[in-house]
Amino acid sequence: MTRLSGVSPAELRPGEDAIERFERELGAVQATFARSTPETLARRIVEALREVGARHVGLTADLGGGRRALVEALRAADIEAVHYEAAAPSRDALRAMDATVTGCVAAVAATGSIITGERAGRAGALIAPTHLCVVERERLLDGLSQALRVIAGSGSSMLALQSGPSRTADIEKTLIMGMHGPKAAHVVLLDGRLDEA
Amino acid sequence: MMSEPIVCFPTCLVDLVGRRLADDVNTVLGAVGFSPIVASGATCCGQPAFNAGHHAQARRVARRTLRRLGDTEGPIVVPSGSCTAMMRRHWVELFHGDRDEILAAAVAKRVREFSEVVDERRRRLSAFEPRLNAVAGYHDSCHMLRELGIIDQPRRLLGYVDGLEVRPLASGERCCGFGGAFSLRYPEVSVAMADDKLADVRESGVDLLVSSDPGCLMQLGSRADRRGDPLRVLHVASVLAEAGVGR
Amino acid sequence: MSRSDDPLVGTGFRDRSRAQLGQPFLRQAIPRATDHTIAALHDRFADVDVAALRERGRRIRAETIRDLDAHLETLVAAFERNGITVHRAADAEAARGRIRSICSAAGARRVVKVKSMATEEIRLNPALAADGLEVVETDLGEYVVHLDDDRPSHIIAPIIHKTRQEVRQSLSRVAGRELPDDTAELTGFARGQLRDAFLSADVGISGANFGVAESGTVVLLTNEGNGRMCTSLPRVHIALMGIERVLPTLDDLAVMLPLLAGSGTGQLLTSYVSMISGPRREGEPDGPEEMHVVLLDNGRRALLGGPFEEALHCIRCGACQNVCPVYRQVGGHAYGWVYGGPIGAVLTPLFRGFDDGGELPQASTLCGACDDICPVKIPLHDLLLKLRRVGGGRAATRRERAAATFWAFLWSSGVGYRASIAVGRLGLTLARVLPARLRRGPVLARWAAGRGLPGRGGRP
Repeated sequence: MTRLSGVSPAELRPGEDAIERFERELGAVQATFARSTPETLARRIVEALREVGARHVGLTADLGGGRRALVEALRAADIEAVHYEAAAPSRDALRAMDATVTGCVAAVAATGSIITGERAGRAGALIAPTHLCVVERERLLDGLSQALRVIAGSGSSMLALQSGPSRTADIEKTLIMGMHGPKAAHVVLLDGRLDEA
Repeated sequence: MMSEPIVCFPTCLVDLVGRRLADDVNTVLGAVGFSPIVASGATCCGQPAFNAGHHAQARRVARRTLRRLGDTEGPIVVPSGSCTAMMRRHWVELFHGDRDEILAAAVAKRVREFSEVVDERRRRLSAFEPRLNAVAGYHDSCHMLRELGIIDQPRRLLGYVDGLEVRPLASGERCCGFGGAFSLRYPEVSVAMADDKLADVRESGVDLLVSSDPGCLMQLGSRADRRGDPLRVLHVASVLAEAGVGR
Repeated sequence: MSRSDDPLVGTGFRDRSRAQLGQPFLRQAIPRATDHTIAALHDRFADVDVAALRERGRRIRAETIRDLDAHLETLVAAFERNGITVHRAADAEAARGRIRSICSAAGARRVVKVKSMATEEIRLNPALAADGLEVVETDLGEYVVHLDDDRPSHIIAPIIHKTRQEVRQSLSRVAGRELPDDTAELTGFARGQLRDAFLSADVGISGANFGVAESGTVVLLTNEGNGRMCTSLPRVHIALMGIERVLPTLDDLAVMLPLLAGSGTGQLLTSYVSMISGPRREGEPDGPEEMHVVLLDNGRRALLGGPFEEALHCIRCGACQNVCPVYRQVGGHAYGWVYGGPIGAVLTPLFRGFDDGGELPQASTLCGACDDICPVKIPLHDLLLKLRRVGGGRAATRRERAAATFWAFLWSSGVGYRASIAVGRLGLTLARVLPARLRRGPVLARWAAGRGLPGRGGRP
């Protein structure tokens, strides 16, 4: 339990279950939550991308050893899949992406957040209307203070916490999703590791 | 029952526009077993000038009141939340480094807000079988609420009045817009704030608005008056007196 | 900007507030928006010890500001280690100059901006426009403010004062056609426009919610994601950071993030929190080639060690505006400068000087609601009183001071007091029987303009 437990709402309460809280908080920030095993991961992702009608999908390097299998699965499903870092130099390629799939450095159960690092690209998680993030179970941390401690040692040039889709309520307080970043944010909690997928 | 002498400082606003309120305060204090002695020669706590940033002038006026009160003993009852806060919380600051610093600290400790004092003897209210048919809302004086934390006492006192339904106000803790000199410096904003409060009062179905601060009462009562709003606006002491306490 | 188009010069709070009070939408919109935020805040913090969290926040801010120079030194060293170029700007002009020369060296034509109060404070946009740069604000609200050549009226919600119809008109002008009267459509149109801007801009300019000294990190909070777009896609990123926004450690950030997001919008965290520790490195897929931080003093350092040091603890969450009963009536524009509400009434005279901002501390009823909600427990009520004291000693209020002195002369004597009370009672009695036009005298007239006379029936 972190030192801010019971004091900060961004920490787990004593005895609280991390996965349950993660799911609840993702719901609260209008993100979707699903669980998967390495075996079913590719199928789950294809299903989710089909549902939103994604045709051009960027996959980021932080998917590591799992990326190759995902690219193959997407292509098999007739979805164009590209490596984000290969597409990123071209503004047109960035514009064309209608979904991105990333891994993450860590996730924060208490706030329903995922944290991406530079391997996901600074803009990788928010350039497209749909973002799907794969969270390996061991990367799910309890609360914000623990997460910041863990990533403090990472030496990353950029880390981004994101909690749900992009939103604005600037016009008469009406909540609209997808202002600049994704309209839809999906999180898949992976019971296992990406390189097993 | 022997009645116990108690010093009462009615405040300048009550002297100016609330002589009946002064009577109500005395009546209720008498009813719970005190014999109030009006502090002779005390004028004003200095708050108007203090809040405007004129400390020297505030000190000059407050010094007179401080010394007159310093000549007395025992608790000092003040029927005004903001004056109580001024004396209890800010006199020490106002007289910091002054020849009357020690006196200010000693007198500050003796200052009590009206409902605090009556609340300690609230059981004696029952003997009068107080009764007043009205739907009331209680408006917290900002300084009484935030600087003194006196929240429950006035509400408890109202609870002793039969026939009085007390409804919570959505804006109960929001300022009425008086703010002393603010009400004259920016009358339009001040009135707009009172209007919001009165709108909330109307929506709550309240016909009697109660407070513990003559400033708030004057602001809200005068605005209701101008609008032709039939709302009555009364000090806790006046509610108790009207309900028959001390009769 | 010239002083002639500065609303703080030549007008008073009373005039400005009267103009705002005449706008019925504003008076509905502000309570609606702010009540929503306050309710969400209470809801999200319901089952934690929020008092303890605020106390930690206060302590972090107090300890940091008390030793600001040491923390800044650490921060600058860490920024430089991370490949960030650091610039120091003593005032608005210096900051504008730095940013202009970075843009010019980068050969920039188009600049995208993240909403930043600091850039508002230094009036950056007109300076960049004068250099021939195209400046695009990318926060939706700020974008509309910029299109309308208006000013933000709330720290967090810049167009709280505008109706959807007004926004529609502004965006329709850009579109060259009538856009539909639908929030989602309007937002979608702006998204398209701004997406083009992100992808074609040469420079991205942001503020900094915090700078973390331990790691050399600029922290930016947004809900729209424009913070990340502006700092990821253009070749150059410039962050303008008030020197007081430093936090020593990431542990401190863990305390401050939920305090800021909660107090600002009622969220646990904003949708996006970017932690930027330098430009793109070798082998990274995207990000700016250059990153600059401009550290802005502009009156801040002068407050260190003085009676108003606590004003530097502010993290610009806007919560004090949300609860302020005066702000709720008149909105941010009535305060005349960048910062409105209680913190605006404190910062404006401190940053701009008493000649321009000295009146603002009077624009408060001293109700103290701001003290109760401030996430870092700034004693705003005390600061306002202290500022009034400083202001009260100045020539601008000579007449008022003379009146106070006369009052003190009367009320410090029993005879004077009794006589003036008697005159006052007589005056009120007369005023009640005299026709309205005879009720002159500045005090009575100002009271009686919207209120009946007090004291009828012997009760206030």
